Amino acid sequence: MADPVVLETTRPAPRSIGRSALLTLPLLLWALLMFSHAVDLRENAGRAAALLTCAFMVALFFLMVRTRRTYRWRRVFFVALGVLFPIGFIAQLYALRGSMSIPVERMLSGDTPFCFLAIPMLIVPAALTRTVIFPGSILPTASNPHSVATMIAVWFAATLVLGKAWCAFGCFFGGIEEGFAALPRKAKLRDLPPRLRWVPWSVLAAVVLLSAATFEPTYCMWLCPFKAVTEFPEVRSAQTAIQFAIFGMLFGGLVVVMPLLTRLRTQCTLLCPFGAFQSLFNKLTVFDVRIDRSRCTDCVACRRACPTLVLDEAAVTAGGPGISCMKCGACVDSCTKQAAVWHVKGTPIAARPETARLLFLYPAWSFATLFGGSIIAGSLAQLLRPLLH
Amino acid sequence: MPRLTSVLGYTGAALTALAALAGPFVLYGAFTQGIAAMGLRINPVYSGGPPAREITRPGYRIVVYRPVVPRAPFSFARSFVQLAWTPAGALPRRVEDAVDLDGDGRVDLVARFDVPSDAAAPLFLDVTPAGGRVLPLRHVSRGSFSALIARVGDRIVTRIPLAPR
Amino acid sequence: MLGNLAEPALLGFSSGLVCLAACGPVLLPWLAAAGEGGRGTARLLAQFLGGRLVGYLGFASLAWAIGLALPLPARTNAFAYGLVHIALAIALLVFAVPARRRPEPCARLSIFRRATTRSGFLAPVLLGFLTGLNLCPPFVAAGVRAAERHSLPGALAFFLLFFAGTLVWFLPYLGSALLRRLPAVPTVARWSAALVAVYYLLLGGLTLGGAWLHG
Repeated sequence: MADPVVLETTRPAPRSIGRSALLTLPLLLWALLMFSHAVDLRENAGRAAALLTCAFMVALFFLMVRTRRTYRWRRVFFVALGVLFPIGFIAQLYALRGSMSIPVERMLSGDTPFCFLAIPMLIVPAALTRTVIFPGSILPTASNPHSVATMIAVWFAATLVLGKAWCAFGCFFGGIEEGFAALPRKAKLRDLPPRLRWVPWSVLAAVVLLSAATFEPTYCMWLCPFKAVTEFPEVRSAQTAIQFAIFGMLFGGLVVVMPLLTRLRTQCTLLCPFGAFQSLFNKLTVFDVRIDRSRCTDCVACRRACPTLVLDEAAVTAGGPGISCMKCGACVDSCTKQAAVWHVKGTPIAARPETARLLFLYPAWSFATLFGGSIIAGSLAQLLRPLLH
Repeated sequence: MPRLTSVLGYTGAALTALAALAGPFVLYGAFTQGIAAMGLRINPVYSGGPPAREITRPGYRIVVYRPVVPRAPFSFARSFVQLAWTPAGALPRRVEDAVDLDGDGRVDLVARFDVPSDAAAPLFLDVTPAGGRVLPLRHVSRGSFSALIARVGDRIVTRIPLAPR
Repeated sequence: MLGNLAEPALLGFSSGLVCLAACGPVLLPWLAAAGEGGRGTARLLAQFLGGRLVGYLGFASLAWAIGLALPLPARTNAFAYGLVHIALAIALLVFAVPARRRPEPCARLSIFRRATTRSGFLAPVLLGFLTGLNLCPPFVAAGVRAAERHSLPGALAFFLLFFAGTLVWFLPYLGSALLRRLPAVPTVARWSAALVAVYYLLLGGLTLGGAWLHG
């Protein structure tokens, strides 16, 4: 691997404030429309949360447009989502039942909110027997608005727009490890073998096959580390105690410790089967990231910047990171030769990368504002309620 | 040809933007209805299965659900039958009911449990089989999905494991 | 006569989806890791099904010979279940997970060494045999019916027809030969097999522990 050489940047100058504001205007209107429905505006906390979140999302988009950089500002949103979602969720759990553990009554009544991570495991049992192997409800109810049908509908619509970019703009768990990965200045553990990026595919295959055999959501029951920051079945047997220990260790190891050591999103890179599943849908979208080989000097800045392991030497030589790219923008922003570029499929590489970036950012940030933004606003409202009541 | 692919690419980009805008107004609702129309059901190991019949008692009724037999060979769940006493508020302090599961005139089990005045207090179930269809239970609370008693809304839900056939 | 033939075959056919799902965690990673083409995959699948048939017929013999009161008592069932799963996990870890190379055609290898390499017959037969003993409800139901036969050949014939009824559901596994076009598939498949093996170890251990403690 060539030593990274600090090259004189050839990045274009920031866009003018006026032009940036003009380009941000559609997003502002969208945000105002969305947040008028996202939270309860009859209360002070709801109004404050809506206003703050709206300003937050619009400001970040403005900065993305003005600075012509994506990753840094997207990461601010993503980490905020990763922090605020669990806070709001856990606060709600304690208010409702005083505990993070899921009582069996909730499962029996179908009140368990549906989590998108379960989607890959549901497909085979649903296709073969029309049975959903999740203790929720098919349609939304008063006590469970996050029904199976609702959440799958949201996921499907988001996937049509984002593909694998869900992992960078939608997933409310990924921001936790992205936050930890951003803390150290340098990675203490470097050069993880790129072939480890196939592990999530192995996990996906194993949990899909085992879920079909057991009619239980295997990943949810045995592996999901994010039960540590949401809810988990009551520990009342050896089995549930083992499950608790496994997800606790996975959270500590892959979401906290390894990102601190490697500056990578290690849970996404080394475990998450849903990320592997989403990669299959990258073929649906027209956006991707490409590397213009005529400009690339193999300085490996893009490979060092990639928060997963998808951009290895072979990928750079081949001209792009392939189907597992989550379009976070890290490689593009780190490239000093503008060789790594945003791209619309079918168009010449590096012909109009900024146009491609904006064409991607509008739908991506619209979704982020609607989905992640509403989660942020909801959590903020909960936090502000005691102060502004 | 390159021009055509470029046009297609940018058209796809425009459609993506449209999809993002249409999502909350059109797509979510359409997809939700589409999924609901597939005739999916929650795994009866969780939902307890569909109701089969009701047994009327003075002031309350017992809903007998269809037996649930997990087909998956590696499932931890055992076969069970769910019974629900409703409304919970109308139940006597001590419930002792002989239940005919399939309406053939023969009692299949006798279920006993106390109903504490505190709705949050734990419940305990005793089941004495009569006829070999179910397994006995002694002082079971929330053992597993196939053997439990729990208060769900205004119902006392019990699950009694079926004897292997 | 036809009715006698139809019953086990139909029972097998109606249970085939369960067999398809039950064998999936073992069979698909195994076939994908082998990286064989169409013929090689068909050979491996045939060997796997052969092992599964041996498991079925062995169980039929046991069910009939000792006049077994099927279904088994819960504790015996749990012990058998647990042991089979631990054995399956070990078999997966030994045969499916390591990246064994094929032996050179002219290499001097003992029959045992040749049989236990990836292209050998022992692995798929053993995996099929252990998967065949999964004691799922249709399998146990077939066992009850087989035990009621008046003769051992009758019991074996019943299970043979039951097995035949399930066969058609295994045809889709031949499609795993298409996966060899993707270079990462053998690696992904081996690691999947390892995860499945760990799961079976846990499943078997918990079942044995539960049977030991609670009966």
